[in-house]
Amino acid sequence: MLKEIKGRVWKLGDNIDTDLIYPGKCLPILDPQEMAKHALEGYDKDFPNKIQKGDIILGGSNFGCGSSREQAATSLKFAGISCVIAKSFSRIFFRNAINQGLALVQSREAYDLIEGGEILTVNYVSGEIITENRKIPFPPLPEIVMGILEDGGLIEHLKKSLKK
Amino acid sequence: MRIPKKEELIKLQAQYKTDRKIGEVLGAPAYLVAYWRRKKKILKYALPKYSFERIKELWEIHGDDLKAGRELSISKAAFYKWRRKYNLLEKPRVLKLAQLELSLPEMSKRFIRDKGMTIAQKGLSLKAGKKEIQVGEIVYVEPDLAMSHDNAGLVIRQFKEIGVSRVWNPDKIVIPLDHRAPAESEKTAEAHKSIRIFVKEQGIKNFYDIKEGICHQVVIEKGHILPGELAVGTDSHTTSYGCLGALSTGIGATEMAAVWATGKIWLRAPESIKLNLFGRLPLGVYAKDVILYIIGKLTVEGANYKSVEFYGDTVENMSVSERFTLANLSMEMGGKFAIIPFDKVTKKYLNNRAKRAYHPIYADQNAIYENEYEFELDKLEPQVACPHNVDNVKSIDEVKGIKIDQVLLGSCTNGRIDDLEIAARILKGKKAHPHTRMLVLPGSKSIYLEALKKGFIKTFLEANCVVLNPGCGPCLGAHQGILAKGEKCLATTNRNFKGRMGSNESEVYLASPATAAASAIKGEISDPREFLKR
Repeated sequence: MLKEIKGRVWKLGDNIDTDLIYPGKCLPILDPQEMAKHALEGYDKDFPNKIQKGDIILGGSNFGCGSSREQAATSLKFAGISCVIAKSFSRIFFRNAINQGLALVQSREAYDLIEGGEILTVNYVSGEIITENRKIPFPPLPEIVMGILEDGGLIEHLKKSLKK
Repeated sequence: MRIPKKEELIKLQAQYKTDRKIGEVLGAPAYLVAYWRRKKKILKYALPKYSFERIKELWEIHGDDLKAGRELSISKAAFYKWRRKYNLLEKPRVLKLAQLELSLPEMSKRFIRDKGMTIAQKGLSLKAGKKEIQVGEIVYVEPDLAMSHDNAGLVIRQFKEIGVSRVWNPDKIVIPLDHRAPAESEKTAEAHKSIRIFVKEQGIKNFYDIKEGICHQVVIEKGHILPGELAVGTDSHTTSYGCLGALSTGIGATEMAAVWATGKIWLRAPESIKLNLFGRLPLGVYAKDVILYIIGKLTVEGANYKSVEFYGDTVENMSVSERFTLANLSMEMGGKFAIIPFDKVTKKYLNNRAKRAYHPIYADQNAIYENEYEFELDKLEPQVACPHNVDNVKSIDEVKGIKIDQVLLGSCTNGRIDDLEIAARILKGKKAHPHTRMLVLPGSKSIYLEALKKGFIKTFLEANCVVLNPGCGPCLGAHQGILAKGEKCLATTNRNFKGRMGSNESEVYLASPATAAASAIKGEISDPREFLKR
C-alpha cells in the first residue's frame, strides 16, 4: 500500500519538458539503471549526481510536456525520485509516470508554499502534503490510477490481473 | 473551348450557383471557372447564401447567435460572421418571445447538456459501446490502430515482461522505423534488429523498415487510420491523424505493451475546445503560421488533457496536408485529440487509400465545449516560435535579422509535397547563404519521389541544400544535423525545447517552409513575402 512518502524537495520551474528531463540522444538506452544516470541532465548536467534516494521533485505548471518518451518518468524513478509534485502535469507524462509506478501529486498551492531543500511528507491516505509548519491538501487520484500506482506500475498491475 | 463573357458568367452563376456546376455546363473544370471569375472580378457566390432579411429576421427573433444559427443549421460563430457581414452589431431592441426563453436557461441548458456530444465524446462512446458518455468518464476501449516506431524496441521489452506470448491483433499494429534511420549507433541497430525479429514472429505485416518514411506520414498515406477511428501511438504527435477526422493520441511504451497484450486501454473522455478560424490566408502565410499563432495565444498548456476541434472557412479550405500541420502541432498546447471534421477534402484524400469502410463522426449541434475561440486570419503575418517554448511566438518583423547557422526543412510537421514545393519555388535559381547549412527532410518515400519528379530535389541540390532520407533524425537531435554550442537553427519542425537538436546552448526557431527557405537564402531569419511578390 502506498501510504507515506518522505523526502527532500528539489524545486524546478514551469514547463519542465521531456528534453530537459531525458535528452533525445539517450533514447536508445534500454537499461533503466543506465537511464537514471541521465535524469534531468538537460536541466542541470550534475543533477543525476545530486539526487539522493527518496528525493521529491516540485515542479511548476505543465511538468513533463513534450515527447511521449516514458524514459523521462523511468529515469526519474530509477534515479531515486520518490514523488513528483507539480502545479499541473502534461497528459502523456502523467500516464507514463503512473505506469512506471512513480507517485505524482497535483497541487496548485504547494508550489508557492514550499521551498527547495525542505523535507516533507506526502500522505496519500489523508491526501495531504505535510511540511514542518503546514498541511496542504491535494485532490485524490482516480481509483483506476491509484490501483496501478499501488501495484508499482502497469506491468505489475497487469500481471496481477492476468493471474486472476 | 470558348471563354464566356462576364455577363454570361454572371447569368450562369445566378442559375447554377457553384463553379463546379457552371463548369459542367460549359465543359470546363471548376478551377478554370474560378479563374475566369477572379479575372472578371465576380464574387464566389452570385447571391449570398443567406439574405440580409433572413439574417436580420432571425437576429431579431433570437438575439442570440447560437439559437439563430441553429435555425439555419450553422454554428454560433458562423451566424456571428453573417451578422457582422450585414452590420447587425447591436442587440435587437424589441424583445421577442424566443429571447425570453433565454432568461429561463437552467432547464433548457441542462436539457442540451444531456443531449449534445463533442467528437471526442461521440468517438469514445461508440468505441466503448455506450449510448452516451460524460466528460470526465473513464472508459476501456480497443484502439483501431496501435502505432510504434523505433521505440517498439522498448515496447517489446516491456511486452515480454508482461508474459503474454502473442499480441492481441497483429493487423492493428503498425511499426515504421524512422527516428534513427538508418541506425546511427550500435544500440539502435540492436533495437531495430529486435523489432525485425519480433514482427516476423508475431506476424505483424504492417512493418515499414527504414526505407518508407516518418511514421505519422506513412500511417495516413497507407490508409492505416480512417475517419472516426481511434488510434494510440508511442509518439506524442500521434494527434496528427485528426487531420482525417480520427481520434488519435500519444502514449508511452509500457502502456503500448499493455495494449499489445490486452487490446485495451483506459481513456478519460476529455473536455473539448472549439477553434473557429476565419479568413483567407494572405500571401506567404500558411497553416504553420496559423497554428503557431494559436499556440502563442492559448499557451503550451492551453489544451492540456483536452480535445481540440477545428472549424471555420480557413480550415475548410485547407488540404489534408495543411490540416495535418494543425493537428500535429496541437500537441504542443497539450491536446489529447486534435480533430478536423471529415468533409469532401478528407473524402477525396482517402479515395484510393481507404481499404475498409469508415464512419465519420461529427459533433452534435448542441455539443458543450469548455471554450470557444475565434481567430480572424486574413491579416496574419508569418510567425516564428522562439526558444525555448512553442508558445513564445513572435511576428516575423520582431525577429527578422537573427543570424541562422542551420535551416531544417521537412519533418512530419512540414515535410509534405506542398511544403517542399513552396520552399523550392523560393529557392529556385538561388543559393543557400554560405554561412547557413540547409537540410531537407522529406516526410516519406512517396513524397521524396514526387519531389524528384517535380524537380524540387534538383532545385534543392542546386541551391546547396543537403537532402536527407525521410525520417526524424535532426528534429529530435538523434543524428544528422546536431547543433553545436551557440548555434541557431530555424526549423519547420514542432519543438524548440532547450537542447532539442543538440547542445543545451543552441537555439531552435520554428517557422513555415516558406520562412525557412527565405531565411536559408539570406542566412538570417527573413520574411518570405519578399520572395513571393510577383
